[in-house]
Amino acid sequence: MSAIVSVEDLVVGYGDTTAVERVSFTVAAGEHVTLLGPSGCGKTTTLRAVAGLERPHDGRIVIDGVPVYDRGAGINIAPEKRGLSMVFQSYAIWPHMSVADNVAFPLRVRGVPRKLARTAVERALALVDLADFADRPATRLSGGQQQRVALARAIAFETKVVLLDEPLSNLDAQLRLQMRGELADLRRRIGFTAIYVTHDQEEAFSLSDRIMVMRSGRIEQQGTPAEIHAAPRTRFIAAFLGVRNIFAADIAGASSDTVVEARLADGTVLRARDPWGDGRGGHAAVAFRPGAVHLEAVAASGRAGNIGTVTRSLLVGDMAQIFICSGPLEICALARPRSDFAKGSSVAWRVDPDDCLVLRE
Amino acid sequence: MVTQQTRPSFLPAAENAMATSLCLLLAVLVIAPMLAVAFGAIADGGGLSARRLATVLASTRIIANTLFVGVGTTALAVAVGGALALVLVRIDTPGRAALEQFVILPLYVTPLLTAIAWSWLGSPRGGLINLFGREVLGIADPLVNLHSAGGVIFVSALAYAPLPFLLVGGALRAMDPSLEDSARIHGASPAKTFARVTLPLALPAALGSAMLVFVQAMGLFSVPAVLGMPAGFHVVGTEIYRLINNYPQRAGQAAAWGLLLLAVTAVFVALQAAVLNRRSFVTVTGKAFRPRRIAVGPVRHFLAGLVWFYVAVAVALPVLTLAWAALVNFLTVDVKLMAFDLRHFRYVLFTYPKTYLAARNSLLLGAATATCVCAIGLAAGWVIVRTRGRMRGFLDQVSMMPLALPPIVLALGLLWTYVGLTLVPIYGTIFILLVAYVTHYLPFGVRAASGALRQLHPELEDAARVAGAGLAKTLRLVVLPLTRPTLAAAWTLLFILAMQEVSASILLYTSRSTVLSVAVFDLWEAGNVNALAALSVMQLVVTFVALALVLRTRQREVAA
Ligand SMILES: Nc1ncnc2c1ncn2[C@@H]1O[C@H](COP(=O)(O)OP(=O)(O)OP(=O)(O)O)[C@@H](O)[C@H]1O
Ligand SMILES: [Mg+2]
Repeated sequence: MSAIVSVEDLVVGYGDTTAVERVSFTVAAGEHVTLLGPSGCGKTTTLRAVAGLERPHDGRIVIDGVPVYDRGAGINIAPEKRGLSMVFQSYAIWPHMSVADNVAFPLRVRGVPRKLARTAVERALALVDLADFADRPATRLSGGQQQRVALARAIAFETKVVLLDEPLSNLDAQLRLQMRGELADLRRRIGFTAIYVTHDQEEAFSLSDRIMVMRSGRIEQQGTPAEIHAAPRTRFIAAFLGVRNIFAADIAGASSDTVVEARLADGTVLRARDPWGDGRGGHAAVAFRPGAVHLEAVAASGRAGNIGTVTRSLLVGDMAQIFICSGPLEICALARPRSDFAKGSSVAWRVDPDDCLVLRE
Repeated sequence: MVTQQTRPSFLPAAENAMATSLCLLLAVLVIAPMLAVAFGAIADGGGLSARRLATVLASTRIIANTLFVGVGTTALAVAVGGALALVLVRIDTPGRAALEQFVILPLYVTPLLTAIAWSWLGSPRGGLINLFGREVLGIADPLVNLHSAGGVIFVSALAYAPLPFLLVGGALRAMDPSLEDSARIHGASPAKTFARVTLPLALPAALGSAMLVFVQAMGLFSVPAVLGMPAGFHVVGTEIYRLINNYPQRAGQAAAWGLLLLAVTAVFVALQAAVLNRRSFVTVTGKAFRPRRIAVGPVRHFLAGLVWFYVAVAVALPVLTLAWAALVNFLTVDVKLMAFDLRHFRYVLFTYPKTYLAARNSLLLGAATATCVCAIGLAAGWVIVRTRGRMRGFLDQVSMMPLALPPIVLALGLLWTYVGLTLVPIYGTIFILLVAYVTHYLPFGVRAASGALRQLHPELEDAARVAGAGLAKTLRLVVLPLTRPTLAAAWTLLFILAMQEVSASILLYTSRSTVLSVAVFDLWEAGNVNALAALSVMQLVVTFVALALVLRTRQREVAA
């Protein structure tokens, strides 16, 4: 697979603050790549730098074989000459134009003959299910419809790469789900390359071929959704993905070992998996999901496990979230509700080494 | 974590080209005339000397007169305008919606016409008020004498009071009422709250408007020419006019006066900036609050009466006087001698040779000025609002400088720049007037455009750029249509203002490039009272029709 977008050592700042700090990645043709991260981590800034809307301080950006920004060579190509499309968080639908004029704009300013433009606009509007709205003033549309106009505008000219900055974040929850499906469907049909920005992990996981998790201006981990779900690399990512049990730990064992012993603050020793094998430094942590915790009543356990006291139990559907106090730690487990896991009872818990992950700081 | 903090020196080409050419244009428009005045003041033969400056500084009489008019007008105008703002914005004055529209009309009637009308009303011997006193009431001594320093200040303050009204009124409206509430809750009486909270918060606007009025009043020409000169009361503005228009022309001496004015206004601007910096608090959140109106009981009718009195004195009386003079056979208070017809209009329209040329030039200049100021304002406003860096800062500063540049000094600077400059032969044509008007009204255009641009989501432009439109196309296809309502209103107001400009025109016109305001002033000097009135009335009609159009588009905007 050849890279259609490649970003090398990108640095972007505002005044004296640096928003993007040596970010590098490549996007293959046809791929859907997502920049995921919490608010303010530099996702939008990275995307805008690729579009040419933000002027980087340093680095190199190549789109479809053409260097569009290269500090060393003094290249900074204007956004209109980068051959991209973009969907903005605010939709940026021009209020003084009709729906059709909005969608036709990229074709018109790029000199596509009127007739061809008209068919392209009709096709794009049909794809987003807005064929009947062509002559509407763009101001008289619902949020979801505006969203679709923005999408239609981005696909009308059929650029190779489409940039999307939180395109669904202004929609209500239900519409967001529906549009997420439509977006995936649309991409399957037309097959454009997408660089997508979101802070919503569900969106990222359901739409992407590859996810890059950003944290304060840097890419902290990249991989397929499955890879990242199975093995978040750092404590930050695990927390961002909502892993409930994350504990600081002392790791014993050689750094090349894939299974190590981790000693938690309460003295518990867990066997944990370390898939990275790249030197873990002084501090580390372990993480495991509530569903990976095996619980047994102490009597039945035959001392195969760590002992703790149940502090709370919450029903979640037909499962119960059970909180276990063990020294200074509170562990969250997911189990079928049983009377011997009631509040105050002692329980034995353990986690399989495969489900317990060593994290980088 | 050391990263490169230096910005690459290359901007995208189009932005760079636009910002650079704007910087050059503004340097030529704004900075060149100021330097030219300074040069003219000290150039002496082949060398430099302070001789002229010394002469100027020795003319203590004129300096004292000018300062008296400058300070007096500023104080009175800010007091009147500020009071109008309080009464119309913060008090439950009856009829305030209509009054708010009326009290800004003096801006459009212009100081020149107001002064002329008041001269007819209040000159010591022929003034209508004094004639009335003598012939009807039998009082021998003049009731009023507006041909005096007091008269100059009175009329100038009437004419400029709308500026403080607009600025202070805007500040009062933008003030968060909860600031006052919290003062009240913490135990301050209403009077104390007003003195300790409301007034200090309105102070920046009051000082800002004081600066605007002061700069105008220091360089004032029209009012002192009409009301001061007959009484031998001279100020710098009339002195510069005399030095340039009398033979032999003494442009160097005039430049020395110009430099003095520049120095005084610069000191004033610096003082104002210093005061504002020390008390820099954010009162304008950009949010419009519904101002809390104070109920004052029956006093409100009295206050409304005072505002109506201002409207009568500053607008109604002068306009009615002009209209009456345009129709009557001659100025008299004896009803038996009065006869009304249209012959003065016929004379002005068909016989008076300058009308056609002056009207054509004024209309052309009004339209060209409004167009240029809106275009430059939009481009400069765009750079100021949407870019960062040094050129943005330069444009932001320099585009506001004309506010501190009295138009008569600007005109002097243009004379010094362009007389004999064969490379740019605009001297003696209407183009030099265009340059003067565009420079003078530039701050207005930049303010209006940048205000409109700040309301515009930047992603609307980003979307156009990514979609393949260059900077020029983006400005034309997206920015211009979306800022059009604001720009259209600004265009019309600029058209009106430029058509009436006097202080700069009076130094720059030639017989070929005369304009309406100069024709009015010519008729004044020639003593052709009725023709002058007829011409002014026609000018006012054009003005008010244009104004009505602005109001109608504004209402449509609000309705949409
Ligand atoms: N115009 C600006 N001026 C100054 N700082 C800015 C500007 N735009 C963004 N920043 C800063 O740069 C950093 C990265 O911002 P960016 O908009 O890229 O974040 P983001 O990841 O897109 O966040 P969000 O999810 O909230 O949109 C933030 O710390 C932000 O405060
Ligand atoms: Mg963002």
